[in-house]
Amino acid sequence: MNLFKQRAFKILMGTFVVYGILVATHKGEFWPFSIYPMFSQAGNPWTRAIVRDVTHTPDSLVWETTDLEHIQGSKVALKKVGVDQIDFSNFISKTEQWDTNRKNALIRMFGPKNLGNSRWVISKVRGRLTAHDSVIVEVVPFLLVKRDTVLTNPLLPKNSYVILP
Amino acid sequence: MSIKDRLSKELFEPDRKETEGEILFFRLFELFVMSYVIKLAWEWGYYMVRNSEVVLPLGVANYIDVSFMFEHSISLINAALITLIVIAAFFRRGSRWQYFIAMLLFHLQYVGRFSQGEIPHSANLIGLSLLSFGIGFIFFRETLKQRRFIFGTIIFFTGLGYTSAAFAKLISTGINWADGNHLWLWIAEKKTDILSRTGTFQYNWLQELALYSRPAATVILAIGWITELSGVLIWWRSLRPYVITGIIMMHIGITLTMNIRFDAFIYELILIGYPWAALIDRYISYIPGAQYAQKLNQ
Repeated sequence: MNLFKQRAFKILMGTFVVYGILVATHKGEFWPFSIYPMFSQAGNPWTRAIVRDVTHTPDSLVWETTDLEHIQGSKVALKKVGVDQIDFSNFISKTEQWDTNRKNALIRMFGPKNLGNSRWVISKVRGRLTAHDSVIVEVVPFLLVKRDTVLTNPLLPKNSYVILP
Repeated sequence: MSIKDRLSKELFEPDRKETEGEILFFRLFELFVMSYVIKLAWEWGYYMVRNSEVVLPLGVANYIDVSFMFEHSISLINAALITLIVIAAFFRRGSRWQYFIAMLLFHLQYVGRFSQGEIPHSANLIGLSLLSFGIGFIFFRETLKQRRFIFGTIIFFTGLGYTSAAFAKLISTGINWADGNHLWLWIAEKKTDILSRTGTFQYNWLQELALYSRPAATVILAIGWITELSGVLIWWRSLRPYVITGIIMMHIGITLTMNIRFDAFIYELILIGYPWAALIDRYISYIPGAQYAQKLNQ
Protein backbone atom coordinates (compact mmCIF):
# COMPACT_ATOMS: atom_id res chain seq x y z
CA MET A 1 0.00 0.00 0.00
CA ASN A 2 3.00 2.28 0.31
CA LEU A 3 3.34 2.37 -3.47
CA PHE A 4 -0.36 3.09 -3.74
CA LYS A 5 -0.01 6.04 -1.36
CA GLN A 6 2.78 7.54 -3.46
CA ARG A 7 1.00 6.97 -6.75
CA ALA A 8 -2.29 8.35 -5.41
CA PHE A 9 -0.54 11.47 -4.15
CA LYS A 10 1.15 11.99 -7.51
CA ILE A 11 -2.15 11.71 -9.38
CA LEU A 12 -3.84 14.02 -6.87
CA MET A 13 -1.10 16.62 -7.33
CA GLY A 14 -1.36 16.22 -11.11
CA THR A 15 -5.09 16.93 -10.86
CA PHE A 16 -4.34 19.87 -8.57
CA VAL A 17 -1.96 21.37 -11.15
CA VAL A 18 -4.61 20.99 -13.88
CA TYR A 19 -7.11 22.64 -11.49
CA GLY A 20 -4.67 25.51 -10.86
CA ILE A 21 -4.01 26.10 -14.56
CA LEU A 22 -7.70 25.95 -15.51
CA VAL A 23 -9.00 28.30 -12.81
CA ALA A 24 -6.07 30.70 -13.25
CA THR A 25 -6.77 31.05 -16.98
CA HIS A 26 -10.58 31.16 -16.72
CA LYS A 27 -11.26 33.84 -14.11
CA GLY A 28 -11.44 31.35 -11.26
CA GLU A 29 -14.10 29.11 -12.84
CA PHE A 30 -13.76 25.94 -14.89
CA TRP A 31 -16.57 23.70 -13.71
CA PRO A 32 -16.43 21.71 -11.52
CA PHE A 33 -13.23 23.49 -10.50
CA SER A 34 -13.62 26.86 -8.85
CA ILE A 35 -11.91 29.16 -6.41
CA TYR A 36 -15.46 30.03 -5.24
CA PRO A 37 -15.18 33.78 -5.74
CA MET A 38 -18.90 34.44 -5.09
CA PHE A 39 -19.46 37.10 -2.45
CA SER A 40 -15.74 37.85 -2.41
CA GLN A 41 -16.28 41.47 -3.44
CA ALA A 42 -18.27 42.92 -0.58
CA GLY A 43 -20.07 46.25 -0.71
CA ASN A 44 -20.18 46.45 -4.52
CA PRO A 45 -23.32 47.87 -6.14
CA TRP A 46 -25.49 45.22 -7.79
CA THR A 47 -28.13 45.11 -10.52
CA ARG A 48 -30.99 42.60 -10.70
CA ALA A 49 -34.21 42.53 -12.67
CA ILE A 50 -37.85 42.14 -11.75
CA VAL A 51 -41.04 41.72 -13.78
CA ARG A 52 -44.43 43.27 -13.02
CA ASP A 53 -47.76 43.03 -14.81
CA VAL A 54 -48.76 46.60 -15.74
CA THR A 55 -51.77 45.76 -17.90
CA HIS A 56 -53.99 47.88 -15.64
CA THR A 57 -51.42 50.50 -14.70
CA PRO A 58 -51.89 54.00 -16.24
CA ASP A 59 -49.33 54.74 -18.97
CA SER A 60 -48.10 57.79 -17.06
CA LEU A 61 -46.90 55.57 -14.19
CA VAL A 62 -45.42 52.63 -16.11
CA TRP A 63 -41.96 54.21 -16.58
CA GLU A 64 -41.73 55.78 -13.13
CA THR A 65 -38.59 55.02 -11.07
CA THR A 66 -39.53 53.81 -7.57
CA ASP A 67 -38.18 51.78 -4.65
CA LEU A 68 -39.07 48.13 -3.96
CA GLU A 69 -41.90 49.09 -1.59
CA HIS A 70 -43.71 51.33 -4.12
CA ILE A 71 -43.24 49.32 -7.29
CA GLN A 72 -45.97 49.65 -9.96
CA GLY A 73 -48.24 46.86 -11.22
CA SER A 74 -49.08 43.43 -9.87
CA LYS A 75 -46.67 40.59 -9.18
CA VAL A 76 -45.30 38.19 -11.80
CA ALA A 77 -43.56 35.15 -10.26
CA LEU A 78 -40.83 34.03 -12.67
CA LYS A 79 -40.85 30.59 -11.07
CA LYS A 80 -44.43 30.10 -12.31
CA VAL A 81 -43.36 31.13 -15.81
CA GLY A 82 -40.53 28.56 -15.62
CA VAL A 83 -37.70 31.10 -15.78
CA ASP A 84 -34.73 31.10 -13.41
CA GLN A 85 -34.62 34.59 -11.89
CA ILE A 86 -30.81 34.75 -11.73
CA ASP A 87 -30.56 33.82 -15.41
CA PHE A 88 -33.17 36.44 -16.13
CA SER A 89 -31.38 39.16 -14.16
CA ASN A 90 -28.14 38.38 -15.93
CA PHE A 91 -29.84 38.33 -19.30
CA ILE A 92 -31.22 41.82 -18.66
CA SER A 93 -28.17 43.37 -17.02
CA LYS A 94 -25.46 41.80 -19.20
CA THR A 95 -27.07 42.33 -22.60
CA GLU A 96 -25.26 45.27 -24.16
CA GLN A 97 -27.12 45.58 -27.44
CA TRP A 98 -30.90 45.24 -27.43
CA ASP A 99 -31.29 44.22 -31.05
CA THR A 100 -34.23 42.29 -32.51
CA ASN A 101 -32.64 38.92 -31.65
CA ARG A 102 -32.32 39.78 -27.98
CA LYS A 103 -35.88 41.15 -27.83
CA ASN A 104 -37.24 38.00 -29.47
CA ALA A 105 -35.18 35.85 -27.11
CA LEU A 106 -36.92 37.64 -24.25
CA ILE A 107 -40.40 36.90 -25.62
CA ARG A 108 -39.32 33.28 -26.16
CA MET A 109 -38.02 33.08 -22.61
CA PHE A 110 -41.38 34.19 -21.15
CA GLY A 111 -43.40 32.25 -23.69
CA PRO A 112 -46.10 34.10 -25.71
CA LYS A 113 -48.71 31.90 -24.00
CA ASN A 114 -47.72 33.22 -20.57
CA LEU A 115 -47.79 36.77 -21.85
CA GLY A 116 -51.26 36.42 -23.37
CA ASN A 117 -52.85 39.86 -23.83
CA SER A 118 -51.10 41.41 -20.86
CA ARG A 119 -48.12 43.75 -20.81
CA TRP A 120 -45.20 43.19 -18.50
CA VAL A 121 -42.64 45.75 -17.50
CA ILE A 122 -39.08 44.61 -16.77
CA SER A 123 -37.24 46.83 -14.34
CA LYS A 124 -33.59 46.96 -13.44
CA VAL A 125 -33.24 46.95 -9.68
CA ARG A 126 -30.08 48.64 -8.46
CA GLY A 127 -28.72 48.41 -4.92
CA ARG A 128 -25.79 50.28 -3.38
CA LEU A 129 -24.35 51.42 -0.09
CA THR A 130 -24.55 55.16 0.61
CA ALA A 131 -21.83 57.29 2.17
CA HIS A 132 -23.80 57.02 5.42
CA ASP A 133 -23.62 53.18 5.37
CA SER A 134 -27.27 52.60 4.57
CA VAL A 135 -28.61 50.65 1.59
CA ILE A 136 -30.48 52.31 -1.29
CA VAL A 137 -32.47 50.23 -3.77
CA GLU A 138 -34.05 51.82 -6.84
CA VAL A 139 -36.32 50.22 -9.41
CA VAL A 140 -35.88 51.59 -12.95
CA PRO A 141 -38.39 50.37 -15.57
CA PHE A 142 -36.39 49.23 -18.60
CA LEU A 143 -38.48 47.27 -21.10
CA LEU A 144 -42.19 46.81 -21.76
CA VAL A 145 -42.97 43.35 -23.14
CA LYS A 146 -46.09 42.31 -25.03
CA ARG A 147 -46.75 39.04 -26.83
CA ASP A 148 -45.44 40.43 -30.14
CA THR A 149 -43.29 43.42 -29.26
CA VAL A 150 -40.75 44.84 -26.82
CA LEU A 151 -40.65 48.61 -26.12
CA THR A 152 -37.87 50.60 -24.47
CA ASN A 153 -38.21 53.25 -21.75
CA PRO A 154 -38.46 56.65 -23.55
CA LEU A 155 -37.19 58.42 -20.41
CA LEU A 156 -33.83 56.62 -20.48
CA PRO A 157 -30.94 57.75 -22.71
CA LYS A 158 -30.59 55.78 -25.96
CA ASN A 159 -27.19 54.37 -24.97
CA SER A 160 -28.93 52.40 -22.21
CA TYR A 161 -29.91 49.93 -24.94
CA VAL A 162 -27.07 50.02 -27.43
CA ILE A 163 -23.50 50.23 -26.25
CA LEU A 164 -21.48 51.39 -29.22
CA PRO A 165 -17.94 50.02 -29.64
CA MET B 1 7.21 11.80 8.40
CA SER B 2 7.10 14.42 5.63
CA ILE B 3 4.03 16.60 5.01
CA LYS B 4 3.46 14.69 1.78
CA ASP B 5 3.47 11.34 3.61
CA ARG B 6 1.26 12.60 6.41
CA LEU B 7 -1.24 14.18 4.01
CA SER B 8 -1.50 11.12 1.78
CA LYS B 9 -1.91 8.94 4.87
CA GLU B 10 -4.78 11.12 6.12
CA LEU B 11 -6.48 11.34 2.72
CA PHE B 12 -5.98 7.84 1.33
CA GLU B 13 -5.78 5.82 4.58
CA PRO B 14 -3.47 3.14 3.09
CA ASP B 15 -3.07 1.32 6.40
CA ARG B 16 -6.74 1.01 7.32
CA LYS B 17 -8.18 -2.48 7.02
CA GLU B 18 -10.91 -2.95 4.43
CA THR B 19 -14.28 -3.70 6.03
CA GLU B 20 -17.74 -4.63 4.81
CA GLY B 21 -18.99 -1.33 6.18
CA GLU B 22 -16.57 0.56 3.95
CA ILE B 23 -17.60 -1.44 0.89
CA LEU B 24 -21.30 -0.99 1.52
CA PHE B 25 -21.01 2.69 2.42
CA PHE B 26 -18.95 3.43 -0.68
CA ARG B 27 -21.52 1.80 -2.94
CA LEU B 28 -24.28 3.83 -1.30
CA PHE B 29 -22.19 6.98 -1.68
CA GLU B 30 -21.61 6.16 -5.35
CA LEU B 31 -25.35 5.61 -5.77
CA PHE B 32 -26.02 9.03 -4.20
CA VAL B 33 -23.54 10.82 -6.49
CA MET B 34 -24.72 9.09 -9.65
CA SER B 35 -28.40 9.66 -8.84
CA TYR B 36 -27.67 13.37 -8.48
CA VAL B 37 -25.69 13.39 -11.73
CA ILE B 38 -28.66 11.88 -13.59
CA LYS B 39 -31.16 14.23 -11.89
CA LEU B 40 -29.11 17.35 -12.74
CA ALA B 41 -28.36 16.19 -16.28
CA TRP B 42 -32.09 15.98 -17.03
CA GLU B 43 -33.01 19.19 -15.17
CA TRP B 44 -30.36 21.13 -17.09
CA GLY B 45 -31.29 19.38 -20.32
CA TYR B 46 -34.94 20.38 -20.05
CA TYR B 47 -34.06 23.96 -19.09
CA MET B 48 -31.70 24.39 -22.03
CA VAL B 49 -34.45 23.85 -24.58
CA ARG B 50 -35.67 27.41 -24.00
CA ASN B 51 -32.23 29.03 -24.25
CA SER B 52 -31.44 30.65 -27.55
CA GLU B 53 -28.19 32.58 -27.09
CA VAL B 54 -24.99 32.19 -25.11
CA VAL B 55 -24.71 35.22 -22.81
CA LEU B 56 -21.78 34.01 -20.70
CA PRO B 57 -19.41 31.33 -22.06
CA LEU B 58 -18.11 29.09 -19.25
CA GLY B 59 -15.51 26.31 -19.34
CA VAL B 60 -15.29 24.66 -22.73
CA ALA B 61 -17.87 27.16 -24.06
CA ASN B 62 -14.97 29.63 -24.27
CA TYR B 63 -13.67 27.56 -27.18
CA ILE B 64 -16.73 26.07 -28.87
CA ASP B 65 -20.13 27.62 -29.48
CA VAL B 66 -22.40 25.55 -27.23
CA SER B 67 -25.60 27.06 -28.64
CA PHE B 68 -25.87 23.82 -30.70
CA MET B 69 -27.04 22.27 -27.41
CA PHE B 70 -30.21 24.40 -27.52
CA GLU B 71 -31.57 22.91 -30.75
CA HIS B 72 -32.95 19.53 -31.86
CA SER B 73 -33.21 18.27 -28.25
CA ILE B 74 -29.43 17.75 -28.17
CA SER B 75 -29.39 18.66 -24.48
CA LEU B 76 -31.88 15.84 -23.82
CA ILE B 77 -29.89 13.39 -25.94
CA ASN B 78 -26.83 14.36 -23.88
CA ALA B 79 -28.79 13.77 -20.66
CA ALA B 80 -29.81 10.33 -21.94
CA LEU B 81 -26.18 9.52 -22.84
CA ILE B 82 -24.96 10.58 -19.40
CA THR B 83 -27.67 8.46 -17.78
CA LEU B 84 -26.80 5.33 -19.77
CA ILE B 85 -23.05 5.68 -19.27
CA VAL B 86 -23.38 6.32 -15.55
CA ILE B 87 -25.77 3.41 -14.97
CA ALA B 88 -23.51 1.03 -16.91
CA ALA B 89 -20.47 2.26 -14.98
CA PHE B 90 -22.30 1.83 -11.68
CA PHE B 91 -22.90 -1.82 -12.51
CA ARG B 92 -19.30 -2.13 -13.73
CA ARG B 93 -20.27 -2.78 -17.30
CA GLY B 94 -18.10 -1.40 -20.10
CA SER B 95 -14.87 0.55 -20.05
CA ARG B 96 -13.09 2.02 -17.04
CA TRP B 97 -13.10 5.35 -18.89
CA GLN B 98 -16.87 5.63 -18.57
CA TYR B 99 -17.14 7.86 -15.52
CA PHE B 100 -14.57 10.21 -17.05
CA ILE B 101 -16.47 10.36 -20.34
CA ALA B 102 -19.69 10.99 -18.39
CA MET B 103 -17.85 13.85 -16.66
CA LEU B 104 -16.94 15.46 -19.99
CA LEU B 105 -20.57 15.23 -21.15
CA PHE B 106 -21.76 16.52 -17.77
CA HIS B 107 -19.40 19.51 -18.13
CA LEU B 108 -20.93 20.22 -21.54
CA GLN B 109 -24.40 20.01 -19.99
CA TYR B 110 -23.40 22.48 -17.27
CA VAL B 111 -21.86 25.07 -19.60
CA GLY B 112 -24.89 24.82 -21.90
CA ARG B 113 -27.38 25.24 -19.08
CA PHE B 114 -25.49 28.03 -17.35
CA SER B 115 -24.61 30.03 -20.43
CA GLN B 116 -27.20 32.65 -19.47
CA GLY B 117 -25.05 34.60 -17.03
CA GLU B 118 -25.48 32.75 -13.76
CA ILE B 119 -22.49 30.84 -12.29
CA PRO B 120 -23.99 28.62 -9.60
CA HIS B 121 -21.79 26.45 -7.39
CA SER B 122 -24.45 24.24 -5.82
CA ALA B 123 -23.57 21.29 -8.07
CA ASN B 124 -19.78 21.67 -7.88
CA LEU B 125 -19.32 18.96 -5.29
CA ILE B 126 -21.34 16.49 -7.36
CA GLY B 127 -19.30 17.39 -10.46
CA LEU B 128 -16.08 17.08 -8.51
CA SER B 129 -17.14 13.68 -7.18
CA LEU B 130 -17.93 12.40 -10.69
CA LEU B 131 -14.52 13.65 -11.83
CA SER B 132 -12.85 11.86 -8.90
CA PHE B 133 -14.65 8.64 -9.86
CA GLY B 134 -13.50 9.15 -13.44
CA ILE B 135 -9.84 9.61 -12.50
CA GLY B 136 -9.93 6.86 -9.87
CA PHE B 137 -11.31 4.29 -12.29
CA ILE B 138 -8.79 5.17 -14.99
CA PHE B 139 -5.70 4.96 -12.79
CA PHE B 140 -6.59 2.17 -10.36
CA ARG B 141 -7.89 -1.31 -11.05
CA GLU B 142 -8.22 -2.70 -7.54
CA THR B 143 -11.50 -1.72 -5.93
CA LEU B 144 -9.91 -0.92 -2.57
CA LYS B 145 -7.46 1.50 -4.20
CA GLN B 146 -10.19 3.04 -6.32
CA ARG B 147 -12.29 3.70 -3.21
CA ARG B 148 -9.48 5.18 -1.15
CA PHE B 149 -8.27 7.39 -4.00
CA ILE B 150 -11.73 8.65 -4.95
CA PHE B 151 -12.71 9.46 -1.38
CA GLY B 152 -9.39 11.14 -0.60
CA THR B 153 -9.56 13.26 -3.75
CA ILE B 154 -13.08 14.42 -2.94
CA ILE B 155 -12.01 15.34 0.60
CA PHE B 156 -8.93 17.19 -0.71
CA PHE B 157 -10.80 19.39 -3.19
CA THR B 158 -13.74 20.00 -0.85
CA GLY B 159 -11.45 21.34 1.89
CA LEU B 160 -9.42 23.32 -0.62
CA GLY B 161 -12.59 24.89 -2.07
CA TYR B 162 -13.78 26.32 1.23
CA THR B 163 -10.38 27.69 2.20
CA SER B 164 -9.83 29.22 -1.24
CA ALA B 165 -13.25 30.93 -0.90
CA ALA B 166 -12.05 32.53 2.36
CA PHE B 167 -8.84 33.71 0.69
CA ALA B 168 -10.76 35.03 -2.33
CA LYS B 169 -12.72 37.27 0.08
CA LEU B 170 -9.56 38.46 1.77
CA ILE B 171 -7.86 39.22 -1.55
CA SER B 172 -10.87 40.90 -3.21
CA THR B 173 -12.15 42.97 -0.28
CA GLY B 174 -9.69 42.78 2.59
CA ILE B 175 -10.16 42.35 6.30
CA ASN B 176 -13.28 44.57 6.32
CA TRP B 177 -15.12 41.96 4.24
CA ALA B 178 -17.03 41.00 7.38
CA ASP B 179 -18.42 44.52 7.94
CA GLY B 180 -22.13 44.06 8.70
CA ASN B 181 -23.37 46.61 6.16
CA HIS B 182 -22.10 44.31 3.41
CA LEU B 183 -24.58 41.73 4.66
CA TRP B 184 -27.34 44.36 4.51
CA LEU B 185 -26.56 44.93 0.84
CA TRP B 186 -26.65 41.17 0.11
CA ILE B 187 -29.92 40.75 2.00
CA ALA B 188 -31.43 43.53 -0.16
CA GLU B 189 -30.11 41.73 -3.27
CA LYS B 190 -31.58 38.41 -2.22
CA LYS B 191 -34.86 40.08 -1.29
CA THR B 192 -35.02 41.34 -4.89
CA ASP B 193 -34.28 37.84 -6.19
CA ILE B 194 -37.05 36.28 -4.10
CA LEU B 195 -39.50 38.99 -5.13
CA SER B 196 -38.57 38.32 -8.74
CA ARG B 197 -38.93 34.56 -8.32
CA THR B 198 -42.11 34.31 -6.25
CA GLY B 199 -43.61 37.80 -6.18
CA THR B 200 -43.52 37.99 -2.35
CA PHE B 201 -40.88 38.26 0.37
CA GLN B 202 -40.71 38.27 4.18
CA TYR B 203 -37.68 38.67 6.41
CA ASN B 204 -36.91 35.78 8.80
CA TRP B 205 -35.58 36.20 12.36
CA LEU B 206 -31.89 36.04 11.40
CA GLN B 207 -32.30 38.62 8.64
CA GLU B 208 -34.21 40.90 11.04
CA LEU B 209 -31.44 40.52 13.63
CA ALA B 210 -28.76 41.32 11.05
CA LEU B 211 -30.67 44.36 9.75
CA TYR B 212 -31.38 45.61 13.28
CA SER B 213 -27.77 45.46 14.46
CA ARG B 214 -24.65 46.09 12.40
CA PRO B 215 -22.41 44.39 15.02
CA ALA B 216 -24.64 41.30 14.90
CA ALA B 217 -24.40 41.28 11.08
CA THR B 218 -20.61 41.62 11.39
CA VAL B 219 -20.42 38.66 13.78
CA ILE B 220 -22.52 36.52 11.40
CA LEU B 221 -20.16 37.26 8.50
CA ALA B 222 -17.02 36.79 10.62
CA ILE B 223 -18.15 33.36 11.85
CA GLY B 224 -18.89 32.34 8.25
CA TRP B 225 -15.47 33.49 7.06
CA ILE B 226 -13.58 31.67 9.84
CA THR B 227 -15.57 28.49 9.12
CA GLU B 228 -14.65 28.70 5.43
CA LEU B 229 -11.01 29.33 6.24
CA SER B 230 -10.90 26.15 8.33
CA GLY B 231 -11.96 24.07 5.28
CA VAL B 232 -8.59 22.39 4.71
CA LEU B 233 -8.73 20.95 8.24
CA ILE B 234 -11.06 18.26 6.89
CA TRP B 235 -7.95 16.69 5.34
CA TRP B 236 -7.25 15.37 8.87
CA ARG B 237 -9.52 12.46 9.77
CA SER B 238 -9.75 13.32 13.47
CA LEU B 239 -10.92 16.89 12.77
CA ARG B 240 -13.20 16.08 9.84
CA PRO B 241 -16.54 15.54 11.65
CA TYR B 242 -16.18 18.76 13.67
CA VAL B 243 -15.15 20.97 10.76
CA ILE B 244 -17.83 19.47 8.50
CA THR B 245 -20.44 20.13 11.20
CA GLY B 246 -19.29 23.77 11.27
CA ILE B 247 -19.50 24.00 7.46
CA ILE B 248 -23.00 22.51 7.44
CA MET B 249 -24.07 25.06 10.06
CA MET B 250 -22.55 27.78 7.87
CA HIS B 251 -24.63 26.60 4.88
CA ILE B 252 -27.76 26.70 7.03
CA GLY B 253 -26.76 30.25 8.03
CA ILE B 254 -26.32 31.22 4.35
CA THR B 255 -29.77 29.80 3.58
CA LEU B 256 -31.33 31.82 6.40
CA THR B 257 -29.57 35.12 5.70
CA MET B 258 -29.32 35.06 1.92
CA ASN B 259 -31.90 32.50 0.83
CA ILE B 260 -29.31 30.49 -1.09
CA ARG B 261 -29.78 26.73 -0.79
CA PHE B 262 -26.96 24.24 -1.20
CA ASP B 263 -28.93 21.00 -0.82
CA ALA B 264 -26.57 18.74 -2.80
CA PHE B 265 -23.59 20.18 -0.91
CA ILE B 266 -25.19 19.57 2.49
CA TYR B 267 -26.23 15.98 1.68
CA GLU B 268 -22.78 15.15 0.38
CA LEU B 269 -21.04 16.84 3.31
CA ILE B 270 -23.14 14.70 5.64
CA LEU B 271 -21.97 11.61 3.72
CA ILE B 272 -18.27 12.44 3.57
CA GLY B 273 -18.00 14.09 6.98
CA TYR B 274 -18.87 11.34 9.40
CA PRO B 275 -17.60 7.79 10.01
CA TRP B 276 -20.57 6.02 8.41
CA ALA B 277 -18.50 2.97 7.43
CA ALA B 278 -17.55 2.32 11.06
CA LEU B 279 -21.17 2.73 12.10
CA ILE B 280 -22.28 0.23 9.45
CA ASP B 281 -19.60 -2.21 10.65
CA ARG B 282 -20.94 -1.97 14.18
CA TYR B 283 -24.50 -2.77 13.16
CA ILE B 284 -23.86 -4.79 9.99
CA SER B 285 -25.49 -7.95 11.25
CA TYR B 286 -28.81 -6.05 11.49
CA ILE B 287 -28.65 -4.67 7.94
CA PRO B 288 -30.62 -6.82 5.51
CA GLY B 289 -28.63 -7.69 2.41
CA ALA B 290 -25.33 -6.35 3.75
CA GLN B 291 -23.66 -9.68 3.11
CA TYR B 292 -24.14 -8.96 -0.59
CA ALA B 293 -21.96 -5.87 -0.36
CA GLN B 294 -18.87 -7.83 -1.32
CA LYS B 295 -20.69 -9.22 -4.33
CA LEU B 296 -21.87 -5.78 -5.43
CA ASN B 297 -18.31 -4.59 -5.28
CA GLN B 298 -17.03 -7.11 -7.82
